[in-house]
Amino acid sequence: MKARKKTNSELFFNGILNENPIFRLALSMCPAVGISTTVMNGVLLGTAVLFVQVFSSCTIAAIKNYIHPRIRIPTYTLTIATWVTVIDLMLAAYVPEAYKEMGIFVKLIVAFAIITMRLETFACRNPVGASFWDGIGMGLGFTFGMMALGLVRELLGMGTILGYDVLGFRPLLFFVLPAAGFFCVGLMMAIFNYMEIVYNRRKKV
Amino acid sequence: MKEIFRITIGLTISCLVAAVIMGSVFAITDKAKKHNEHVNVQDTMLGLLGFNKDKPAPRDLRFFSIYRYTLDDSGATRLAYMVPVLDGGKEKYELVVITPAGEFVERFPLKINPEAANEGHERELALRSVLRPSTGLSFADSAILAVKGKERLAYLLPSEFPGFKTFIKVILALDPMFTVIGLEIMEHEEDPGLGAEIVQPYFKHQFRGKSFDRLRELKVIKEPLPDEYKTALEKKAPDKGGLSKADLETLRDKYRDEDIYAITGATISSNAVTSGVINAAKKFSYRLKTLEKVIAAQRLAVSF
Amino acid sequence: MLTVATARRNALYCVAAFFMLSLVLGCGKEYRFIKAASFKGPRGISITFAGPVDEKWAKDQANYSINEKTDPDIYLRIAAISLRPDRLSVTITLEEDINQKATHTLAIKGIVSEGRNMGSAIVDVKKFYLGYLLSILMGAMIINNFVFTKYLGLCVFFGTSQKKSTAIGMGITFTIVMVASAMMSWFLYQFVLKPFRLDFLQIVVFIGLVSLSVQAVDTILRKVNPVLFKAFGVYLVLVIANCIIIAVPLILADNEYNAIESLMLALGAGLGFLIALFLMSSVRERIELADVPPTFKGLPIAFILGGLFALSFMGFSGMSLF
Repeated sequence: MKARKKTNSELFFNGILNENPIFRLALSMCPAVGISTTVMNGVLLGTAVLFVQVFSSCTIAAIKNYIHPRIRIPTYTLTIATWVTVIDLMLAAYVPEAYKEMGIFVKLIVAFAIITMRLETFACRNPVGASFWDGIGMGLGFTFGMMALGLVRELLGMGTILGYDVLGFRPLLFFVLPAAGFFCVGLMMAIFNYMEIVYNRRKKV
Repeated sequence: MKEIFRITIGLTISCLVAAVIMGSVFAITDKAKKHNEHVNVQDTMLGLLGFNKDKPAPRDLRFFSIYRYTLDDSGATRLAYMVPVLDGGKEKYELVVITPAGEFVERFPLKINPEAANEGHERELALRSVLRPSTGLSFADSAILAVKGKERLAYLLPSEFPGFKTFIKVILALDPMFTVIGLEIMEHEEDPGLGAEIVQPYFKHQFRGKSFDRLRELKVIKEPLPDEYKTALEKKAPDKGGLSKADLETLRDKYRDEDIYAITGATISSNAVTSGVINAAKKFSYRLKTLEKVIAAQRLAVSF
Repeated sequence: MLTVATARRNALYCVAAFFMLSLVLGCGKEYRFIKAASFKGPRGISITFAGPVDEKWAKDQANYSINEKTDPDIYLRIAAISLRPDRLSVTITLEEDINQKATHTLAIKGIVSEGRNMGSAIVDVKKFYLGYLLSILMGAMIINNFVFTKYLGLCVFFGTSQKKSTAIGMGITFTIVMVASAMMSWFLYQFVLKPFRLDFLQIVVFIGLVSLSVQAVDTILRKVNPVLFKAFGVYLVLVIANCIIIAVPLILADNEYNAIESLMLALGAGLGFLIALFLMSSVRERIELADVPPTFKGLPIAFILGGLFALSFMGFSGMSLF
């Protein structure tokens, strides 16, 4: 029982750190560049992705024995599309303000490679419980990545965090401009790489 | 062969299940969505009129909507207005058809209750039931009249025009003399940091207090916004570096007839909003005058 | 709110568009005596007649009425009318600038030419339609490039822009699938989803159509041209993971484009992706030889490059071509 629990927590942290969808796997980059201008956007889209990932993973893990191997991919697509529609409708109905902010990106979750990839590599081989934790980990990892980017961009670009005025002035408006998304992601990836290099060097010594 | 059969059945079942899930979610959320949208628009309108939590709207404040349609009656273009009327104390809608030049053509009472008139689909059904089947029908726009008791408070004009990237949706509030009371940006997809600044008070509040005659000539100027004007527009509380009420008044008077200062790096968005506002106000004032003439001539018991 | 009538009109338009491309070049209804009507300068509309017109008739403002097609009740005020010395062309100057994006309706009453009455006419004045189509194409391709200004399709963009040959292969495959699936989804959306109020199914339907067209292109290519399939087949799977391919149908659904305009937008999106891939791969081939700090090797430097491209593409923004 104990060993089992450890696996779950490992699965959970795997998504957040080792296989962070944005910085390590370099998947689902579009929203990371497109709408990571504020922390709030990151939280919102991250939550949406989290739900879609968890529901899709669980669905596939539950019905994996009934899926004919030849229609595997179409079934994944259908599952994801269904859950995306559900989330899309829910957001549009209950949090219209936030939904407006995210624009077309909620609907585009359907084309996020990360979700399909997790279904293909994980959910279709593992039981529901493990898939659930994997989904949560991946979703949180994505949310974390989006929030980190949002934090940098919002703080440097607007001088605010979550809409609250922190600095009182705008240090570098450049960061909130659309094109700066690329630079931010590039720099963040470089930081992750740097940490890895330093970590490996320490381990050797 | 057996395999194909199994695959087909599997796919059909999964499609059906997916469709059922989506359909039921749609059915559940659709009502909530419309309700929330309605509440949102209502709140925005109240906010534009200057009512908020501290200063609640009076009980006798009511909103009436006028819907405008263009008709194509076998080659002849007609305008059709859905006008709210009072029929023995009950609120109803009547359809008034006029020519583009403003001459009355015909009128029909409509079988639609005011709640349902919010829905474009319902309105269309009601209109189709009175018009000749061959008539081409297309929705043009709507305008909302805010009435307090017997007195008209404001006209609220939902309007939509192309911005820099996609469409910008706004609600413009005019007083009965067509002076701008306020402007609220409802939806836009402009660039953050540039065009998206149109939602900031220092831009959208520049339109406040512009008289109709001034508005017609309004231009966008590419000059830096004076600091004192910006503080006046942002209207912070005096203890947070804002201005006292008297200072605010003098500043407002000083800049009342000023042109619109463009947002730095977003001249196109600023221009788009300005010309959109001007057009909406101009067209509405013209149409309202025409419509009122017809209403007076026809002795329609309108609710506003 | 699409009525059945509009749907029918759209259908007619679609058929007409596909089989008579010449219709594209036509500018609405043509009346025999009026050869052309077009915008001239910010406030002018010029009308060319087939024969010389009577000066007294031509200079009378009451004989003309101009309005935007969507606002049939609001007549634009005329400031001045001038007649060319050969009496073949009239220029009407309005009091205010014309919104040239909108179609204007010009009604002319009782044209008098050489003492004879030639009857009345109503003409639509609008910008050259082909120009409008081209501006949609260029808009989607460069000004609003999906990769550099809308930040879509990045996963595939960074994945396949390492080598020029891969980039071109991916770009071409993508363009073909893009056009095919966008046209199908436009058709399905306008004639099935909208009339039956099934809007909420759009995500499923669009992604389904994309998979379907990928499958179709795959099968056809495999049978018809195995050599080509060997070259491009590998990219087909990647197309599904590209968000542009699902974004374009969604944009089409939002914007009420007609068939040709949709085709232009889809083509523009595809070609824009091709351009972006080609530019990026050219730079990345060079970067291979450069001395990049180890932390930036690979994707990080590619992202910085993407940012530089995005910055330069911002320079195109707000450009209007025609």
